[in-house]
Amino acid sequence: MSDTTARDPVPVTVLTGYLGAGKTTLLNRILTENHGKKFAVVINEFGELGVDNDLVVDADEEVFEMNNGCICCTVRGDLIRILGGLMKRRDRFDGIILETTGLADPAPVAQTFFVDEDVKRATRLDAIVTVVDAKHLVARLADTKEAQEQIAFADIIVLNKMDLVTGAEADEVERRIRGINPYAEIRRATKSDVPIDSVIGRDAFNLERILEREPEFLSGDDHHEHDSEVNSVSFEVDKPIDAERFNAWITQVLASKGQDLLRTKGILYYADDSRRFAFQAVHMIADGDFIGEVKDGDPKKSKIVFIGRDLNRPWLRRGFEACQAGEDESKIQAEIARWTPPPA
Amino acid sequence: MSDTDFLLDSRGDAQDLGAWVIGAVFGRDGGCAFALGDGTVRLADGWRPVTAHDGACLSIAADVKDGVITGGDDGRVMRIAPDGTATELAKYGSKWVDHVAAHDSGLRAATVGKAVHILDGKGTALKSLAHPTTVTGIAFDTKGKRIAASHYNGASLWFVAAKESSPRVLEWKGSHTGVVISPDASHVVTTMQENTLHGWRLADGQHMRMAGYPSKTKSVAFTAKGRWLATAGADCVVLWPFFGGGPMGKAPTELAGGDGVLCTTVACHPTQDVVAAGFDDGLVLIAEIGSGRVVPVAAPRGTAVSALAWNGVGSHLAFGTEGGFAGLIDLSKK
Ligand SMILES: [Zn+2]
Repeated sequence: MSDTTARDPVPVTVLTGYLGAGKTTLLNRILTENHGKKFAVVINEFGELGVDNDLVVDADEEVFEMNNGCICCTVRGDLIRILGGLMKRRDRFDGIILETTGLADPAPVAQTFFVDEDVKRATRLDAIVTVVDAKHLVARLADTKEAQEQIAFADIIVLNKMDLVTGAEADEVERRIRGINPYAEIRRATKSDVPIDSVIGRDAFNLERILEREPEFLSGDDHHEHDSEVNSVSFEVDKPIDAERFNAWITQVLASKGQDLLRTKGILYYADDSRRFAFQAVHMIADGDFIGEVKDGDPKKSKIVFIGRDLNRPWLRRGFEACQAGEDESKIQAEIARWTPPPA
Repeated sequence: MSDTDFLLDSRGDAQDLGAWVIGAVFGRDGGCAFALGDGTVRLADGWRPVTAHDGACLSIAADVKDGVITGGDDGRVMRIAPDGTATELAKYGSKWVDHVAAHDSGLRAATVGKAVHILDGKGTALKSLAHPTTVTGIAFDTKGKRIAASHYNGASLWFVAAKESSPRVLEWKGSHTGVVISPDASHVVTTMQENTLHGWRLADGQHMRMAGYPSKTKSVAFTAKGRWLATAGADCVVLWPFFGGGPMGKAPTELAGGDGVLCTTVACHPTQDVVAAGFDDGLVLIAEIGSGRVVPVAAPRGTAVSALAWNGVGSHLAFGTEGGFAGLIDLSKK
């Protein structure tokens, strides 16, 4: 008698966005479209409308701090429990869609997938999809930090209700989104009518796909919003990276500044290594691995992107540059010393 | 089959049940039941499937006198009689019933979100105990006078019969994921999200931290007389001494280690200092604490042991795996 063998991790799509933005419409479209896939749906208790699906689980969004005493190091306790329960009937669905409330910070959800050993083993975060209302997004961004966070965390942004705005208004909304997160893919939509395969099965958190997309930066001026606003900075260097220096520096940067850093992603070419290294972090929680050999003709430019608040561009740039092999050792020591972790 | 299966082959009854075994228990009548992720309960006597839940079974416990009770993700608490008759005891809407427990004094308990519902032997609701966050585990004490519930930032200890219900709150920061009470009701121990256990000595509130696990501990059990706390979560069975001033300042004893596979489930013999352990690869064994002697029961079959139970007199052991393999072994002297 043999036991059933272990299965592939279940993909989990996180669906976020404000009340009224069209999140439930998108969810119901995903569920009803004829794609032959079955989903388990985890909805928040303040969901807008009925969700028509065989397997719906109510979540209560319990955000738990981890025991390091840091306010940004949090997980969704209920999610660990619910995903664990769903795994016991793994054969009933192909994927999981997790809806969060409009007021939710996406970080604890994302961090749960990096931190909990059971969640990591049984599932993989497919993508964070944020549905926004083209008409009201600008006002929301001014109101609340959650609206900015949901944009900052997004892999795909469904810019919904396009029928309610003019072309110029839509361009302005996109400009604002790009200012926060130039790496997200924006899909314009009316009644959330985006192709399902543009939001499901994206595998956006796979290290191999990090920074695969070319950023869509703002055209024209590098318009600086005030410091409380989320924005992004990215840097590229030509010389190979010294792995030890980079580890020491990024560890210190995340420990010191992690609360303000929403997402960090990097592709690195190490000195004396024929492979590429991919790296990502949500606040202070990081994950990284080699993602295969360097291909012929690859310009081997290491790159890092920070999305967060109050980013000190010169410090981050000089630090990353000092990680290059061959740079003076005193330089990287000075760059590491700048970032003092807050007292625990 | 390998020699490791000797006991299973010669004295056991095994079955591929086709769904995740979430728990195995012996009823107080002696019958053995397995609860599965497909919503059925299998009675080992003939391996009959009984439909219990529309969804998955999430928990199973021996019922008050005979049979078992189960909680499911359909919001129901079910009783399965020894003859396989299924009866609904309670229904809590669309919420999951994560944990159930019962005591031979006539009490039943079920957790639904932040509440622990206490029912009597007939299924009548007696009271509902409220907690600050979702309840992650429950345990009655040996006498059935108190019930402990684990949750975020600690555990709550309630006198079940008290008119004015307010718990003794055992506080410790962090996410607690399960709870046990020592047989003499002197200690409460919780498992935690961050690979540690936390304990409280009830007499004086003394805290105990039991750390050093490479993984989450999902299964703990006190030995019959409460001398040892057997725990999963390491690549061996870790036993903390609850005598001679322990476990504080004492190193735990390790049994059945060495091959680097995580222990996922433990169950203590009801009378002797013997512990059964299941591992991440499906290996089941029993170990004698005094001598450290280990006897294999079932060979690895690829998926983790997720259920393990002794019957009331300690003559039979039941186990099940995440992959749906289940066995019942007669270990009595012949
Ligand atoms: Zn933090």
